[in-house]
This record gives sequence, C-alpha cells and structure tokens, in this order.
Amino acid sequence: MARPGLIVTVVGAVVAVLLQAILAPFMVIGAAMPNFILAFVIANAVARPTGGIVAPFVLGLLYDLMGNGPVGAMALVCVVLSFVCSRLLMMLNNDTLFIPIVLIVAGTLLGNVIYGILVIACGMDVSVTEALVGRVLPCGLYDAVLALVMFPLLARLGALDGAPLKME
Amino acid sequence: MKERTGQSGAHAVLAPLGVVGSSAGAMAEDAGTAAADSGASEETLSALRQRNAELTELLTQSEEYRLEAERLQGLLGLKETYAIEGVSGRVIGRSTDAWNQTVTIDVGSAEGVETGLTVVGPSGVVGQVIAVQPGSATVRLLSDPQSGAAAIIQSSRAEGIVRGSLSGQLTLQNLEADAEAKVGDVVLTSGLGGSYVKGLLIGTIVRIEGSAGDGSRTIYVSPNESAGALEEVMVVFDATGVDVTPRQSSSASSSASSSASADAGARSEGTAGGTEGEDRG
Repeated sequence: MARPGLIVTVVGAVVAVLLQAILAPFMVIGAAMPNFILAFVIANAVARPTGGIVAPFVLGLLYDLMGNGPVGAMALVCVVLSFVCSRLLMMLNNDTLFIPIVLIVAGTLLGNVIYGILVIACGMDVSVTEALVGRVLPCGLYDAVLALVMFPLLARLGALDGAPLKME
Repeated sequence: MKERTGQSGAHAVLAPLGVVGSSAGAMAEDAGTAAADSGASEETLSALRQRNAELTELLTQSEEYRLEAERLQGLLGLKETYAIEGVSGRVIGRSTDAWNQTVTIDVGSAEGVETGLTVVGPSGVVGQVIAVQPGSATVRLLSDPQSGAAAIIQSSRAEGIVRGSLSGQLTLQNLEADAEAKVGDVVLTSGLGGSYVKGLLIGTIVRIEGSAGDGSRTIYVSPNESAGALEEVMVVFDATGVDVTPRQSSSASSSASSSASADAGARSEGTAGGTEGEDRG
C-alpha cells in the first residue's frame, strides 16, 4: 500500500507542474515570474525531509523541458537544494517554525541564484547585476512566498507519513 | 393661403400651450408605460433580464471580433506593404520561465514553418522561430536577451545590432562611433547575416545616452510591436518587396508605422531612387 506521504508528493508535483505550465505565464508581477516547481521542491523538502531526490530531479527536468533554458540546470538546482534543505532541517530542527522558514526563504533565493549563474554560464549575454536585480531577487522572493504558502499544507499532510516536523 | 392677423395672434398665444400640451402628453405616455411596467409579470422581467444578458454577451463578442479584425487588418496591411509570403498564426502560449521571452504559435512544420524564419506582428518584427513542431512553433521574441537582429537606422543608414535584455528593452549596439543617430529615427532590419528578413520595421529610437564619437553610447529602441498584447503573428517565408526604404531627411520624425506606409507608397510608385545600392537584397 502506498504511503500517504508519497501520494502527497506525487499529487503535489502534478499540481505544481500544471500550475507552472498553465498559470505561471499569467502571474507575472513586474520582472518576477513564479516558479511553482522550485517552490514545491523546497517546501516539500522542508516539510518531508525524508522524501528523497527523485521527485526534485524529475520536476526540475520537466521545468527545463517546458522552458527554453539549459536542460538540466533546474534539475540540478532542485536536487542539490532539496538535499541540502532536508539535511539541514534534520540537523537544525528544534520543533519551531523559525528554522523551516529560514530554510525555505534561503533555499528559494539560493535556487534562483544558482539557476541564474548556470543560465549565464550557458551563454546568456546579460550582466550579473542585471540578472541579480532583474530576475534573481524578484523571482526568489516570489518563490519564497509561494513556498511559505505551500509549506503548512505539505507539513500537515506530510505528518501523516511520520515526518520529523509535525505541524500541530 | 395667407394667414390672417387674428389667427396669427391666436397662434402666438396658443403656441406655448401646445408645448405644455405635448409635454403633458409625453408625461401621460411615460406614466402609462411605467404603470404597464410595474404591472409586468415576473416572467416578463426574467425574459428581459435574460435578453439583456444575451445582448451584453453579443456586444462583448462583437467588440472582440472588431478588435481581432483590426489586428488582422494590421497584419494584412504589413503583408501587403512588404509583399510578404508567409503564414499567419495565433499565439497559444508564453514562456513558462522568467529568463526567456518566447511565445508559442499554432502553426508549425505542417504549414511550412522552419527554424530561423522571421516573425512579424501587425506593426513590426516580433522575433524569430527557434523550434518547430508539426502543429506549433516557438518564437524567441526580439526583446529576449539572447536575441540579436542586424539593424539599420533608416535616415542615416548606420548599421548595428538590436539586442534584447532581461527587462525587455531593446538597445542598438555595435554602431560605428561616429554614426549619426537621433531620437525618433526609425530602425529596420538590415538583413545582414541572413537571420532576419531585410527592411522590416523594428521600432524607433527613444533615448540616446552619450553622443556620437562616444564608444560607450547606448541607443534605446522602442519596439513597434508590443509583445505583451501579441495575439496574431505572421511567419515570413519571403518578402520580395522589402528594402524600398528611401533615405529620409533628418527632420523626419514621423511614426514608424506611417513610415512603413510611406515606404509602401514609394515602392508602388517605383521611386526608390534614394536607396543605396548596397541595401538592395
């Protein structure tokens, strides 16, 4: 019988992909476009640290294939950050919301920074300042807000699967 | 028959009363209508509300058709202006990531679309096809940071490259240091390199930072085509009638679209005498 946490991850991943493909292009605020996939990966990694890195890899790859960026860049970002965030939560978890929130905000911002570096390294002709101010920061903040919205739901559902962090 | 003085006086006296009478008649009619309305059954009111909703929907639909017809007319005008051979399509999707500015259109390899073809909107160049599927194609917009179109300033014939940016702002780069450029100048594709069809309208220069001779001069170009409102586009297979832009006087500051129309007129009259030979395809 499938574990509830796995079902939550699969359903959440499908919803994130659909939101990214359908809604994201129409939810642009200024220079920021939401990345539901990155937000979900980070929120899920913090809510269910034992979730593994298969889902983040698949989701990141789907993001790369849907868009026109370098293939594999977002997959790498999702895998690395999912791993780092889940391990850091296991190490630092003190059953308060402070650590998860810090990890989510830092994770989404760092994810955008790494993706921006990869995009520039793959040949996009933009200055670092323009990339940082024009995309990384606004998109990172947007994704952080989305991840913070997703986190309570995922944490509550993830608690059914015996996740370390339980939302009471 | 001539009116008598007495009758005239009586008419003069009675005329205001006639006005009062007609007003009273109108009021009585209104009152009758209001009385009838107040006595209208719930069914009548429901039918009227439904009819009103239908008419509102019809009006909205008509307005939508009118706007679409305007856009298509613009596209058709551009096609005639530049003698474009191509296929038109609708925008069915936009980029799902923040770093790329692309749109997906509903025509693809089945309609003859190939990678590298120029795409125009109702009033100018939009971008270039970068990927093709049987029923759709992906177009990288000119405003994308990875876009670059060989361009020429219409009045001075100075050549450069129009590049996009993350903010969507177009800049004219690689211009010779002493090349003449001023606000209001029209920028066209030059066709050099073969990436874009020659002579299509890109936009107008809106701001220049620095001056001629300054190597770090930055020239900002306002695209004639707004990517945000893009709904219908045309993929250009060939444009045999391009490059007819006569050299304009430096005082020319007409809008880009009117310039394109003027070009069309000049072409039809065969008065392209001012065009330099090197610009001919």
